[in-house]
Amino acid sequence: MMRLSFSVFRKELRDHLRDHRSVLTSLMWPLIGPVVFLVMFNMLASWYRQDRPLQLPVVGREHAPSLMAFLERYGAKLEEAPENYEERIRAGSLDAVLVVPDDYAESYSAGHTAEVQLVVDSSRQSARQSVMRARRLLEAYSQMLGNQRLYARGVVPELAMPVRVAETDLSTPERTAAGMLNTVPLFLVIAAFAGGMQVASDTMAGERERGSLEPLLLNPVPRSAVVTGKWLSTLAMAVAAVVMTLVGYLLVVQRVPLEDLGVKARFDAPAALGMAAAVLPLALAASAVQVWVSTYARSFKEAQTYLSLLMFVPMLPGMVLALSPLQPKLWMFFVPVFGQELLAGEVMRGEPLGVLPFLITAASSVVVTVLALAVTTRLLTRERIVFGRG
Amino acid sequence: MIEARNLHKRFGKKVTAVEDVSFVAEDGIITGLLGPNGAGKTTTMRMLYTLVRPDRGTALVDGVDVVQRPEDARRALGVLPDARGLYPRLTAREHARYYGELHGLSGAQLDKRVDELLDLLDMREIADRRTEGFSQGERVKVAMARALVHGPRNVLLDEPTNGLDVMSTRAVRTLLRRLKDEGRCVVFSSHVMQEVAALCDRIVVVAHGRVVADGTPDALRERTGKDSLEEAFVATIGTDQGLMQ
Repeated sequence: MMRLSFSVFRKELRDHLRDHRSVLTSLMWPLIGPVVFLVMFNMLASWYRQDRPLQLPVVGREHAPSLMAFLERYGAKLEEAPENYEERIRAGSLDAVLVVPDDYAESYSAGHTAEVQLVVDSSRQSARQSVMRARRLLEAYSQMLGNQRLYARGVVPELAMPVRVAETDLSTPERTAAGMLNTVPLFLVIAAFAGGMQVASDTMAGERERGSLEPLLLNPVPRSAVVTGKWLSTLAMAVAAVVMTLVGYLLVVQRVPLEDLGVKARFDAPAALGMAAAVLPLALAASAVQVWVSTYARSFKEAQTYLSLLMFVPMLPGMVLALSPLQPKLWMFFVPVFGQELLAGEVMRGEPLGVLPFLITAASSVVVTVLALAVTTRLLTRERIVFGRG
Repeated sequence: MIEARNLHKRFGKKVTAVEDVSFVAEDGIITGLLGPNGAGKTTTMRMLYTLVRPDRGTALVDGVDVVQRPEDARRALGVLPDARGLYPRLTAREHARYYGELHGLSGAQLDKRVDELLDLLDMREIADRRTEGFSQGERVKVAMARALVHGPRNVLLDEPTNGLDVMSTRAVRTLLRRLKDEGRCVVFSSHVMQEVAALCDRIVVVAHGRVVADGTPDALRERTGKDSLEEAFVATIGTDQGLMQ
């Protein structure tokens, strides 16, 4: 029985690997994740880069020399604003421009509130950091002057500040990184589905459409051995896709300026192994369900349609988890697909987990696998399935 | 030896494909299952080679009941079924080897057997080419090679010469005679009178799911009182459908 399954497995894999086009299709999916990741991280990093000095063009520098001196002392690089600064802010080539009106010195000397304008485009994400820094510097200057005025009148500045807000950032560097890395489990699980999709549709629906299923079943081989062999070849491709995705992420993470974002990601070899342990058992179940669906489909095309729809099963919970990670409870690990995505996410965040969640998710995958394979074996004894349905 | 006993098969509630078919196909002769399209030949064959389970009746292959022990029956059968699809990305030799492995052959034994078959079917030249783009004749040869790789005592062929040109048809006939000379039991189905007349030692005529005549070509002529086999066939089934190729 094992030897027969292996014969089927070897033939299917050889047959599939000679179909270069569909092999490329299967392996394209696993590469999408790491590539998206690389691009996104580099973009984020360029937005948030902290070491860049604040560039602040100013209109009317001469009206406020002491403010200019203060800004320069705190690291801002000041320059004359160009004529068309509003346009350029809208176009995104300038982040913010400071406008000091003509009457600034007058209001200031009179002890009134002097006004300066910070011209920004609040819809531009990339300008947010610069705008915030400029605003903080201006507020600090204002507060400093205010304190001096209170002192001059013999008042303790604390009187004017009944409450002070102190922020404590509880997120550890690993947690912040995980915020970005949350899409990784989703892509790993998608790889477990995408890798075997082509073989699965060819090995059952394709076999029947080609007219080679009938002769195949004429061999003195138990149906279960045929199903097992075909499932194993699907599984092999799924495992290859998951491993490729993981390796892709490992390579990409080393080339991404994570430090610029002020985060230290836990994406090293042990974490990768942990994620493999979380996701690979799911490949068993995904492949088994795919072989079942492919056997049930009326035609090759129908099988491909169903299998593409099946890919949405991991996408929905995966997106939810990527957008709003939730506190895992033990029962969640029992849910196939969802459990694996949750578990991979926890591994990546560096949470101490213990063995139990791994065992639970693996067990739920095995149950689904055994069920799907048993149903497929039964389907193959039906004449309508073997000879096709009109 | 193949023995069909009162085979009966219905699809759904209304369509009766095979009403009642019984016959015996002896070793060392070629038995032809002759009948017009839709007479129930393919369904009868499928019941013999165990992929369709009869509603009533059964069949014995070398004494093995196809309903009770389908896997053992398949071991004793070599079949060229109605569907004879190939894997376009595998070579002719790989097809034969795959089926050989599934019959439990391996190593030197498998190599030897595959080589013999490639010689027998005169397909040395195409042996290591992928089957994509093979002609109909070449495709049937590959299908034959994989059906015979385990050296079965009984050979079932469903319309083996369908769609073949003259040369390929002759090659198939030569092969069938050879299998007969080796003492195997050969059963083939056809709707073409000439085909059956040219090859068969024994003719089983099927119409509307029943055996309407069973005997040697001579016996068939004698029974109907007609001189030509063609006339005898028409008299037996009561229609001239199936006489033309």
